[in-house]
Order: sequence, then C-alpha cells, then structure tokens
Amino acid sequence: MSFPARSTSRFESFYARALRLYPERFRYSHAESMRQAFRDALRDDSLPQRQLIPLILRDFFTSILKEHLTMLRDTFARPALIFNALILCVLATGLALALYSIPQQVLRQGANDPQIAMADDLVAKLEQGITPSQAVPAAGLDMARSLTPFVIVYDDQGRPLASQAELNGQTPAPPQGVFDYVRQHGEERVSWQPILGATSNRDEKSPLNGGMALQHSHGIRIAAVIQRVQLANGNPGGFVLAGRNMREVEDREQQVRQMAGLTWIGMLSVILLGSAAFGWYTRPRPVLATI
Amino acid sequence: MATATVPTAPLSPAVFAILLSLAEGEKHGYLIMKDALSPQGGGVRLGPGTLYGSIDRMMRDGLVEESGLSDDERRRYYRLTQLGQTALTTELARLDAAVTSARTLGLLPHGGQS
Repeated sequence: MSFPARSTSRFESFYARALRLYPERFRYSHAESMRQAFRDALRDDSLPQRQLIPLILRDFFTSILKEHLTMLRDTFARPALIFNALILCVLATGLALALYSIPQQVLRQGANDPQIAMADDLVAKLEQGITPSQAVPAAGLDMARSLTPFVIVYDDQGRPLASQAELNGQTPAPPQGVFDYVRQHGEERVSWQPILGATSNRDEKSPLNGGMALQHSHGIRIAAVIQRVQLANGNPGGFVLAGRNMREVEDREQQVRQMAGLTWIGMLSVILLGSAAFGWYTRPRPVLATI
Repeated sequence: MATATVPTAPLSPAVFAILLSLAEGEKHGYLIMKDALSPQGGGVRLGPGTLYGSIDRMMRDGLVEESGLSDDERRRYYRLTQLGQTALTTELARLDAAVTSARTLGLLPHGGQS
C-alpha cells in the first residue's frame, strides 16, 4: 500500500533536504536519481509502508557516513598528496635535526676553548720543571657549583697531585681508559661526569682524596681537556686536566633543542595544513554537465 | 577511470545484486532496488544511498555504465559493461562451485540445478 499523496510530498521534501548532507560530488552526481528512486518507492503499492521508512533511514545514515569517508579518502589520501607530504616531512625533520645539531656542536666545541689554552700553559710549566703545587694555585673551587675553569694535575698512575677544584672535598679522576688513551695520543677531549672514587687506583691512597673510594655520581658534567706531560729527562710526568662545569652550556643546548623542536613541530603543522588545503582545493569536483 | 581488471575477491552482496539485476538489461535505480530485494535477486535491502554509492564505485571500476536512456521522469538507466558481465560470470561460477561443494557434503538437498 502506498503513502497518501500529502505524506508522499512531505517525505519527499524532507528527503530532498536531507540529501544536501551528502558530499558535494556525490550529491551532484546522484541526488536527483536518489530522489527519484525514493519517489518511486513511496508510490510503489507492493512495498509495505512500515518497511520503507526504516530502510530509508538506515540506508541514509550508513551511506552518508560511507560517502563522507570516501570523500575524505579521495580528497586527502591521494597517493601523490601523501607522498609529497612525507617528502616534505622528511626534509623538515632533517632541517630540524641540523638546526639542533649544528649549534649544539658549536656550543660543545666552544666549551673547550679556555681549557685548551689552560692545559697547554700548565703542561709547558710542568715540562719546564715547575712542581705541580707551584704551577697550580690553590683555588678551592667547587666543581658542582662553580663555572670557573680549573686545572688538576695527576701523576702517571692517574692519582691527583694538585687541584684547583674539588667535589665534596675530594678530587675526582677520570676513568683509567682516558689516561690510557692520552698516553698513546697525547691529548683527549671528553665530557666527563665525575664519580668520586671511580678511578682504577681508588684503592691506593692519594694525597688529595685520602684513598676514599666513594661511588657516587653528582650529575654534573665537565668539559675536560686532558694532556700528557713529558718531562725533559724523558720520564713520564703525568697528566694535566683542564675542565669546566658544562651547566651553562647544557642550558644553552636545552634552549637550542627546544627551539629546534618547536621549529620542527611548526614545520610539520604547516606541511599538514598546507597538504590538507592543497588536497581540498584539488579534490575531485562534480562534473558540471551532471548538475 | 575504469580499471581493466575483473575483481578477484568475492563481490559484496550489493554489487552482486546490482550486477545480477542489470544482467537482464538496462534498468533505472528503483528497478534495481526492487530486483535486489526479491529472493531471486539475492534479497538484499538496498536504499537509494547504498545503491547509488555502489553504482558510483562500480562505474569508476568500469563494471557498469550509464546507458544514456532517460524516461519521462528523468530516471537514469544503467547497463553492464563487458567487464561487469565477466565479473558477474566469475562470481556466479564461484557461488556455483560453493553450492556444488555444499551438496557433496550433504549440507544442501540434492536435486535441481545449482
């Protein structure tokens, strides 16, 4: 049994308005045909009324969702668009990494500048025969707090002989492997995280640390330049370490990291928005002839 | 743009019902909906949105095309392409093999044509 003419007209009018919710291209291509099919269904006596409206409603909501998903895929998930966006993302990531790593290396290398000169000068004095205690003026700097560069003289076994700086009242020493490297190559530049008592000779008593063997990292890092001292008589004269707390450098590195990170996020956002806008303006459009 | 390959995966009920309906000849949307709803057409309940969404994709895949016919009420008619015909034949053969297998296993009564 078909609907009364008045109801048919009302249903059809409502359905025609609802069709505006379909995506543009689909609407231009099929809305008129859908409206005609709906009109035919309303007029069809063989179709039970109570089945038609639920069928139309269910079909409307499922198909409108599906067509909008299809529209989104056709608009934004085109392979060329995604490929271009990915290429731009890779370039932006590379640029952001360069924005971080280049200043970071400049800062890191610059952190060694005064220590290189101090180590050179101190090695020259020691090689002229000046004793460590004469060459290293007592300063009592606290490694954990002071940003002032300092020097430490170690004997050939890596035990401290004279120092301008202390950590909790003791003079830490770099790992024995650093001294081994310097024995072979003459100089090493490292970021050193002092651990009290962590030297290979910690069991032996040192005139400066009293042989204490504490295993405790203080979370500080020192930009250290270690050089070999060669006495004139050919005897090994030990090592000189010139260092400086890297706290300020690390703060600047952190700032650079944040700026590079924000730049990266900004670039990715621009790429995302730009790709979305490009996808939208180049989306498949309805053919005018079908309107 | 039409892809020149026959779909290999089993067709969806809606696509199969539309192909089956159009195998009889050119039809407009509501006739396809009625055919699909009938037991012989697969008993698929297609509304206008699902029907024209499927037809849209099938036209893009080259399975059906507009015939160019139109009647007094401006209904648009569709027909199978050669590729659509092949897809329907392939799907029917697949279903026929499945029904034959079911009969062999005793899941369906013998008698009649599969």
